[in-house]
Amino acid sequence: MRRSAAFIAMLLLLAGLVLAQGFGDKPPVEMAPVGSVQVKAGGSKNVSLDFRIGSEYHINSHTPKSPLLIPTVLKLSGPEQVTVADLKYPAGQDMSFPFSPDEKLSVYSGDFTVDALLKIAANVPAGTYPVSGTLRFQACDHSACYPPKNIPVQFQVTVVK
Amino acid sequence: MKRNALVFVALFVAILAMLASGKYLDRTRKHGPIALVGNVQGVPAPDFTLPSLDGRKVKLSDFRGKAVLLNFWATWCPPCKVEMPWFEDLQKQYAQDGLVVLGVAMDDTAPATIAKFASDLGVNYEVLLGTDKVSDDYGDVQYLPTTFYIGRDGTIVDKMTGLLDRKDIENAVRKTLGTTYKPANSPLNQADASIKEAVAAKVNSPKDSSR
Repeated sequence: MRRSAAFIAMLLLLAGLVLAQGFGDKPPVEMAPVGSVQVKAGGSKNVSLDFRIGSEYHINSHTPKSPLLIPTVLKLSGPEQVTVADLKYPAGQDMSFPFSPDEKLSVYSGDFTVDALLKIAANVPAGTYPVSGTLRFQACDHSACYPPKNIPVQFQVTVVK
Repeated sequence: MKRNALVFVALFVAILAMLASGKYLDRTRKHGPIALVGNVQGVPAPDFTLPSLDGRKVKLSDFRGKAVLLNFWATWCPPCKVEMPWFEDLQKQYAQDGLVVLGVAMDDTAPATIAKFASDLGVNYEVLLGTDKVSDDYGDVQYLPTTFYIGRDGTIVDKMTGLLDRKDIENAVRKTLGTTYKPANSPLNQADASIKEAVAAKVNSPKDSSR
């Protein structure tokens, strides 16, 4: 009896802690973990960064149709040994929404991927190098919009000889 | 057994306290605790002074005695721009009854860009440049559009978030103007005016010589 009471109490405590951390306030966009990225010194590698948008949201694509709309932008920076040579964004989907049925917006919804081309100089010693940055986006749902937000983007590049 | 129950209750209370403090801390920003959370009806609207697009300082409490529609919006918010022409129409329709529409732009954009955006939508009501402080004072306004309807006595009559039907907005405006609200051009008011005119005519007319 004492054990089961302690177990229930522990469960409630954990649930409380999770909720107290603002579990319900998760961002509309989340990044999937990046697997192992191995690049030979002097070589280059395309890294696919996968993002998932909450089912009730959409975000502007990288090329929205109005200059007033805030584009989705990935900014990456790494140590000097790792160069982010190019970023490729997916094309947006042209969609209309209940708030402006006559207007098409260029948006991402569901899952989308940004490809980052990394280049490693020939003289880079073998080792692991962190790459970090942010994804900036502005999300809306069917009737309202949220301010622009940045989420962290992080992964590691292992340089091999 | 009794001791177990006590421990259980104590833990439950502790969890509730953690939940409450977690939510409180989550809502606390650099400007301090957020004033407006939960049901805001009947709560005094936090006063503010914000710059207008032409650089004047506009204070909310200067509109005491008027019904104020306070709309938080942004140029990057497509649903917001659906409502704004409606607000303009409502301002025209109900201004003589005491309605004032104030738009608060929650943009980082240059005022000239905001002004052009509003002008392109035909907006002539006062547009103010919002700040994080005002957003926090009004309960951390993150979801745009958000509109507060502030009664003549300075208390909040209603709060609406997201794009709504124009009819719902107009109903909120009428509610904010007052429960005894009668449009200035309604037949009832016209009848009132006729009676007042008749009374005034009687009062101002020369004394009846037959008396």
